[in-house]
Amino acid sequence: MGLMTRWKNRILASLGSRYPAFARWLSSGYDPLSLEETPWAPVDFRVSEARLALVTTAGVHHRSQKPFDMNDPDGDPEFREINGAAIADDYTITHDYYDHRDADRDLNVVFPLERLRAMVQAGVVGGVTGLHYSFMGHIDGRHIDTLVRQTAPDVAERLQRAGADAVLFTPG
Amino acid sequence: MGIPTVGISIVREYSEKVRPPRTVFLKWPFGHPLGEPFREDQHFAVLAQAFNALEAIQKPGEIWDLPFRWRRQQYLPPAWKSP
Repeated sequence: MGLMTRWKNRILASLGSRYPAFARWLSSGYDPLSLEETPWAPVDFRVSEARLALVTTAGVHHRSQKPFDMNDPDGDPEFREINGAAIADDYTITHDYYDHRDADRDLNVVFPLERLRAMVQAGVVGGVTGLHYSFMGHIDGRHIDTLVRQTAPDVAERLQRAGADAVLFTPG
Repeated sequence: MGIPTVGISIVREYSEKVRPPRTVFLKWPFGHPLGEPFREDQHFAVLAQAFNALEAIQKPGEIWDLPFRWRRQQYLPPAWKSP
């Protein structure tokens, strides 16, 4: 994808964040994966007793990690592992498809780990895992299969190993 | 056994199609699922609703439309923040 296309994506993203009606019009042209049956894991605990993990599609990652691929028009189905202890002081966002200037200023806008920690401190959330996971939410074409068959199951296994009782998903 | 999930959505049409297990929807701008920068009480309000949905939703694919009106909403500090 050329520089011009990346600029166009950023301009559309900026307009979409400023004018929600424009964003809805933009997104109405996209046909996402449609599931007939929703996978279901029951909740048999209170959130105040549960250890939570975050998974975001907002393109957050550590500065030392490889940025998400912004040149492939179908996006990037890979994920980045987020170290909860370090992310507040060491993050960047690679995602041309939404305007992340506010999230650049306050990560909690898309990845509310600091807020979750305050809730843990107050006893309304049981705990948070040490590791969390991040995707860049523009995943299309051939990459959907990679996401569904490889990277999403990989993240699910990692979340189990991290001891997550429940997961909060946040978009960009 | 999988891990229970709840998601914040800002495009309701996508959530209706993808049908994730539990969703709270906000008619808010892209890039702001928790709200505006540094507005802690706004963020806590969204998280509280998401966790209520996690505990309460029994029907797979259910979407809660949260009533928050972006900047026009008054977000009170959560009860647990009171002295």
